[in-house]
Amino acid sequence: MSNTSCSRLQGMNSHALGSVVMAELTREQIRDLMGAVMKAQGKTLPAEDSADLREIGFRSLDFSELALRVEDEIGDELNFDAPGLRQIAKVGDVLDFIEQLQSA
Amino acid sequence: MSESPLVPPSSVVLVSGGSRGLGLAIVSDLVGNGVKVAAFARTVTPELTALAEKYPDQVHVGSVDVNDAKATQAFVKEVEEKLGPIDGLVNNAAIGQDSLHVHTSADQLAHIIQTNLTSPLVLTRFVLRRLLAKSLKGRIVNITSICAQRGFPGLVAYSATKGGMDSATRSLARELGGRVLANSVAPGFFASDMSAVLGQTQLDQIVRRTPTGHLTEPDEVVPVVRMLLLDNTNINGQVLVLDGAASI
Repeated sequence: MSNTSCSRLQGMNSHALGSVVMAELTREQIRDLMGAVMKAQGKTLPAEDSADLREIGFRSLDFSELALRVEDEIGDELNFDAPGLRQIAKVGDVLDFIEQLQSA
Repeated sequence: MSESPLVPPSSVVLVSGGSRGLGLAIVSDLVGNGVKVAAFARTVTPELTALAEKYPDQVHVGSVDVNDAKATQAFVKEVEEKLGPIDGLVNNAAIGQDSLHVHTSADQLAHIIQTNLTSPLVLTRFVLRRLLAKSLKGRIVNITSICAQRGFPGLVAYSATKGGMDSATRSLARELGGRVLANSVAPGFFASDMSAVLGQTQLDQIVRRTPTGHLTEPDEVVPVVRMLLLDNTNINGQVLVLDGAASI
């Protein structure tokens, strides 16, 4: 795990599941990771949840990258089918989707 | 007098996944052409039940999971007792996929490969063993997909299984030395079923690029399957792509 990941884990919400401690990222932490995905491409994530993904250049593969970064942080896989992805149009939708995946 | 080199038309055909969609259309068509047909699926639909009730001496159906090898083999023996030796097999049962490879669990990958590749090969092996032991000739039709030859996102494992079946088809044709004709039918995307995987934008794009201007319908696949099972064509070891030339 990278230093960045370790530092992020410090602020995580945690709950015990049997002997395994599962950690969920907060919405703000997910937003930070989303910003990092965009920054890596020289783009900036707008502050508004209503920002349109097409307009800001956040593509489906970027969503995959974000999901994988979240997986790295929480130490668990977030597998999902594609239909849900097709409903995602705005930044808020991305955050909602990841939050729902974590709690599923 | 020497034995005819021709493989006769199939007289008893087993169709996996025959309860709905293309599978059901194949079953209905073969029954209408006087062929004895056995069909199984995890769930037997009212449509398939109705066919079995209407043609009790010609149709045999069962609720069988293609991944349950014992159950499929028991069903094959049931069919032989009721309808006679199976000399035609349509491997149609399959599950789809709608998830990017990186977000598909290892368990789900294994399930897709089991259902779409391993189980059809196991069923084919069993049917062939019984057919060869009875000195019969026969025909196999594997329903595959254009995905075996063209790339589409969200269908990595599915495409791999369909490509695997196309490859197996060629080797079966060689291995069986003309006693069994083995071919694949590879439809393009249907307007229903698998097309839901692609999303409307991709579907519209495929339609635009298709010279015939429409997606393949099950009714367009059925006559090709019938031809491979019943007609004398000398087609063997081939993959027949039915996609309106979208992929060429």
